[in-house]
Amino acid sequence: MSRLKSFLLLFLALFSATASIKVEELNEEFTEALLLRPLPDRKVLAHFHFRSSAPPSQRYGRHHHIFPKSIYQLVRKFQVREMELSFTQGRWNYERWGGFDPISSSNAKPPGVELWAEFDVPHDQVDDSWKNLTHALSGLFCASINFLERSTSYSAPHWSFGSASGKLRYGTLPREAVCTENLTPWLKLLPCRDKAGLSLLMDRPSIYRGYYHSQRLHLKSDESDASETSTGIVLEQTLTVVLRPDTFSGKVLQPNWSLSSLFGRSVSGKCSLSSSSNVYVQFEQNLVSAWDKLREASEASDNAISVGEGFQDNPLFELSLPPKRVIRESGNFQKAGSILYEFSVEDSNQFKPFDLRLNWKVPVAWSSPQAPLQASRFLLGSGNERGAIAISMKSTRSTDNVERTGAYGENECWLRVGIFQMVPWYVKVYYHTLKLFLDGEPQSSTENMEKILVSPSEDKVSTGVLEMILRLPCSVRTAALTLEFDKGFLHIDEYPPDANQGFDIPSAVIHFADFVANMSFHENSLNQVPILSKLQEEVPVISYTEVLLVPLTTPDFSMPYNVITITCTVFALYFGSLLNALRRRVGEEEKLLSGKGARKAGPLTLMISKLAAKLRGKPWEPPEQSDSGRSSSKYKLIAKVALVAGVAAAWQFYFQ
Amino acid sequence: MAAASAPTPPSTAEIAEAAEPLPSKLENSEADCPRKTRPGLKRLALTFTVLFSFLLGLPFLLKSVEIYRSPLPFREIDDLSAAVESIPLQFPCKFRAVFVGTGGSSFDANELSVKIEHQMRKIAAKDSTSCGACSYNSSVSVVVENGADCFRSDNDFNWKCGALSELNRYEDSREYNDELFDEYLHSLVDKSDGRGNGGNVYTMIVVRREGQKDVSAVVGKYRHGWIVGRLSEEEAVKKVATVFVKVFVNGGKEEGPISGEFMPVGADGKIVLSFNLLNADPHDWIYDWEFQEIDDNLLAPILKYLKPLADISVESQVLYHTPKSSFSYWDEKLGGYIFTTKDLPFFVNSNEWHLDTSVAAGGRSKILHLVVYVPSATECPLQLQLPNGKISKSNGFISPMWGSVVVWNHAACLNGSKMETRVRHMISSEDMRKIFEVFIGQLRQLFGLKSKGIFRDASGTIRLLTSESGFTEWELDVLSRQHTCFNLLQCTTTLGSLSRLVQSLPRMIIKEEIGEQVRYSIEAAKLALSNVSAGIYDASAVSSRRARSFAEDAFYHPSMMSVSYYSFEHCFAVYSPFFLPVALHVLLAALREWKRYKQESRKFKAWKAKKD
Repeated sequence: MSRLKSFLLLFLALFSATASIKVEELNEEFTEALLLRPLPDRKVLAHFHFRSSAPPSQRYGRHHHIFPKSIYQLVRKFQVREMELSFTQGRWNYERWGGFDPISSSNAKPPGVELWAEFDVPHDQVDDSWKNLTHALSGLFCASINFLERSTSYSAPHWSFGSASGKLRYGTLPREAVCTENLTPWLKLLPCRDKAGLSLLMDRPSIYRGYYHSQRLHLKSDESDASETSTGIVLEQTLTVVLRPDTFSGKVLQPNWSLSSLFGRSVSGKCSLSSSSNVYVQFEQNLVSAWDKLREASEASDNAISVGEGFQDNPLFELSLPPKRVIRESGNFQKAGSILYEFSVEDSNQFKPFDLRLNWKVPVAWSSPQAPLQASRFLLGSGNERGAIAISMKSTRSTDNVERTGAYGENECWLRVGIFQMVPWYVKVYYHTLKLFLDGEPQSSTENMEKILVSPSEDKVSTGVLEMILRLPCSVRTAALTLEFDKGFLHIDEYPPDANQGFDIPSAVIHFADFVANMSFHENSLNQVPILSKLQEEVPVISYTEVLLVPLTTPDFSMPYNVITITCTVFALYFGSLLNALRRRVGEEEKLLSGKGARKAGPLTLMISKLAAKLRGKPWEPPEQSDSGRSSSKYKLIAKVALVAGVAAAWQFYFQ
Repeated sequence: MAAASAPTPPSTAEIAEAAEPLPSKLENSEADCPRKTRPGLKRLALTFTVLFSFLLGLPFLLKSVEIYRSPLPFREIDDLSAAVESIPLQFPCKFRAVFVGTGGSSFDANELSVKIEHQMRKIAAKDSTSCGACSYNSSVSVVVENGADCFRSDNDFNWKCGALSELNRYEDSREYNDELFDEYLHSLVDKSDGRGNGGNVYTMIVVRREGQKDVSAVVGKYRHGWIVGRLSEEEAVKKVATVFVKVFVNGGKEEGPISGEFMPVGADGKIVLSFNLLNADPHDWIYDWEFQEIDDNLLAPILKYLKPLADISVESQVLYHTPKSSFSYWDEKLGGYIFTTKDLPFFVNSNEWHLDTSVAAGGRSKILHLVVYVPSATECPLQLQLPNGKISKSNGFISPMWGSVVVWNHAACLNGSKMETRVRHMISSEDMRKIFEVFIGQLRQLFGLKSKGIFRDASGTIRLLTSESGFTEWELDVLSRQHTCFNLLQCTTTLGSLSRLVQSLPRMIIKEEIGEQVRYSIEAAKLALSNVSAGIYDASAVSSRRARSFAEDAFYHPSMMSVSYYSFEHCFAVYSPFFLPVALHVLLAALREWKRYKQESRKFKAWKAKKD
């Protein structure tokens, strides 16, 4: 008996152990993090990163305690496999704020709204799912995303956006105004909203005062995948803002800042639901090398003992709080990588708020890492008839670098550049006019084109899409692409309310397929922190060009009525005179005229006859008056006027 | 037009004058130039051809500017609303009564039947006839069992006489309780003839016992009840009639705050029960629930049970940082923070409680929010004080058509002991069960049923047994009757307003789909009416729901309000610059030619007569 009991106990213990493991494995998680980075142009980048995950519902069930219900229902209802929605205000300054790091590659977004989504439904249902999704999202985020429902406003990229399944849809609304009404529903998806934790910093006036503001929602789900390896739904919400710290003296090269001076608030404790909430301060690679140089110089001068990664004694800056951890990026062969200081906000509370402060000791200047080419896009030509789109790409490497690579021989080094351009149908692009210029010299496009896919637009049905991969020699200094187009005519009711402002052509997406923007850290344990694992993820370097504003011919919107009226009048005149001419008896009239003469000529006829007589050069004879005819014609005129007035009055009365 | 016609060229004006001279002049001109030839028809034919081609073209023009209006069956809509609204919808129900051990009976079965009917009509007349009541026209079947004798009023009711005699013995063995007796009666009564046509059957059993002083009246979980005790026949008849009318037909409600018309069922016959656990301040403590378990074990059976009434789906979420928006004060005597019934309108904090996001509830489903509120440390324990000064046992309240709130104080807070913060606690399953019992009671209230198990009346109290699933069978019958009635009323009002709207806007486009939906709706409503008269409750509820949802679909069709921008005034403004001048020309030309022709032919005739 006792044996049986012990067996039973053992079994129970085992069972409970496995059960507890299972529970631990299947759990919702929420983490928050904030990354701060001083930018070369006296600004500060703040990047909030929130991540919620839900285990697959086959094993976990459909009731969640942290994961937002609305997002789960969205995923379930529309079978979303992956989706990214961003609301952006302002333009990312690639030149100054960098274009070759994970944050700029995945968080620099085109102005307005950008949405792409991949569905897990059969091909013929993808469009319907997209339409329903846009409506649901527009309700959820208080934005006019539902305008992406029209087939003229979205496209189906084939290979420019990750997956090539053909179930991906992409659309942008460049003119969407982004403000708090979009941020509030976005915050609702966080368990603590902006009541606690890092999101407490999101003081609306200070974040909307910034130079760049991009709120992003990315979700990835393998709900439909029933296998054991599925990870469920991962929702990633980021808010990227570029702020300028308030400084009193404008002459300082780098302003000192603190969280409270940047945001006007400080953090008092973490969100109780988050499993980790950290603040990171990142110093870019070039800044670190500047610092190293400075240290070398100081070492040479007074032989001070360097403490390596110490933060207190570094000659460049000073942080008000001791970091929990210093993470060094494993640099490449020549340079040191960037440095991340990690701070935890867990110990702070209402009475001891977390208010990090950065003071610069020495003025320093550096530049952010750049993407290999810097792209910009503009319009050529004038007038309302035709024009051309030009995309120009400028090499960002310094000249000596180019010369060095040039020495290797041009055939060995190639730069692959992908371009994705969506063009609305009323901009009728002639794809055969595609011209490529390298360093100002026209090139045959076939030679430098690795891959091209053109889906021409169909009037009032679909947008035109150009996807291509260029193969440029590394030594290239500038590359330019031009495409000619005709401006189309829209139907009167297709014009947007403010048609005279012009029409937007969505940003082109330039991606550098051979370059990945990621940071690699030495320690593997860092993968457990979502923001760090996100930074280590290999994302292709992507940059967006400007939004183009194309002025189209806008009609005078009262024109149709004018046209109708004038045509009708002309027709009526023609018709009336034709009928008159047909039924007139010229001979009889002449006879009558001669018989009665100007029997009852009015003042007008009198004048006309006088004028005619004068023209003919004959003396004018006044016609003999006949009173009776005159008075009768007068009565008739009065009767006619009265009749018309009566009809008008009756009309008015009847329709009131 | 007046301006256009006024400055006509002077020459034509003169001709116009000339064409219709005064009669005296006419005589003169006739005398001047007599007509010697027959007047020509060329010009007359030409002008008339033009005129007729214009007239012929007119229908084509009207056809081209006409808008599509699907023909709606206005007459049928009127008929339907007349049928539904004129007489309150009444369902056929069958009533049966069994009198056991009446001793020296002064009445026979038929007499009793008549008496009960009479009494029922009297009670029903006092009540305001609510929607979905039974019609009291059918006779009450009565069986009188007196020792070995058995009298029946009709043969429909095959009650096994003497079936209860065993029970008396059984009862003495102290294992008796109402639930068991209910089950026993269920095996005796309801199974014998289930749901036949002509409505559900309700049975009352009166057991007369001299030895018992008090009278106990109980209504079971199924469609029967019983009265045991020493009571006279008159009293028994009164009581039986009361139970029939007030409980079985009207659902045992007093004049409650919620009338049947406010059934929380969406226009598409769906309800979403959105359960929310609100942690007022997660800094103090965080509570979580095992909702999946509750969903599977507690809710699923109830939802299945309510299926004929509405399509119910369940969703849940846990929210944090959700303080209530009313104030509460500390009461030393009651040992807790008190909020009173006066604070209830301000309890729900719509700024911070983000309950409303449900993507799943598309269309016009009704969402009921069921909220568990976990108070923060500064207001725990939080208790609801009733107007009579007592503390509410359920500690919750409902808001009709919105949902309900339950305040849950956890044990540590009630004891005053400290607890670890920032750790997720689970609400124990015992507590969960209690909370959901309250929720089910509140759900019953939201549906307009009583939450207590006792019905009080002038004639005494009646105990109502509760079912494990929350709703007893007779309650469901009541609900489904009311639901059907309300749906049909709603459907006819919607269709009525639709037809009025359509008739008042002659330039409104009505798509074929709308016409179809209206036709379907009428069909379903007719089917529901016929089912009602046949007494098939479930089918009538289903088809009435269909009727309502089709009617609402038609009314809220996206194309519904697309009133043609091309209004009549617009049409007039566009076409008048062409048609008015041209029509004037054509008409005048035709008129003049006709006049001229007549005049000339008269001249010709006069000349001919002269010549002859």
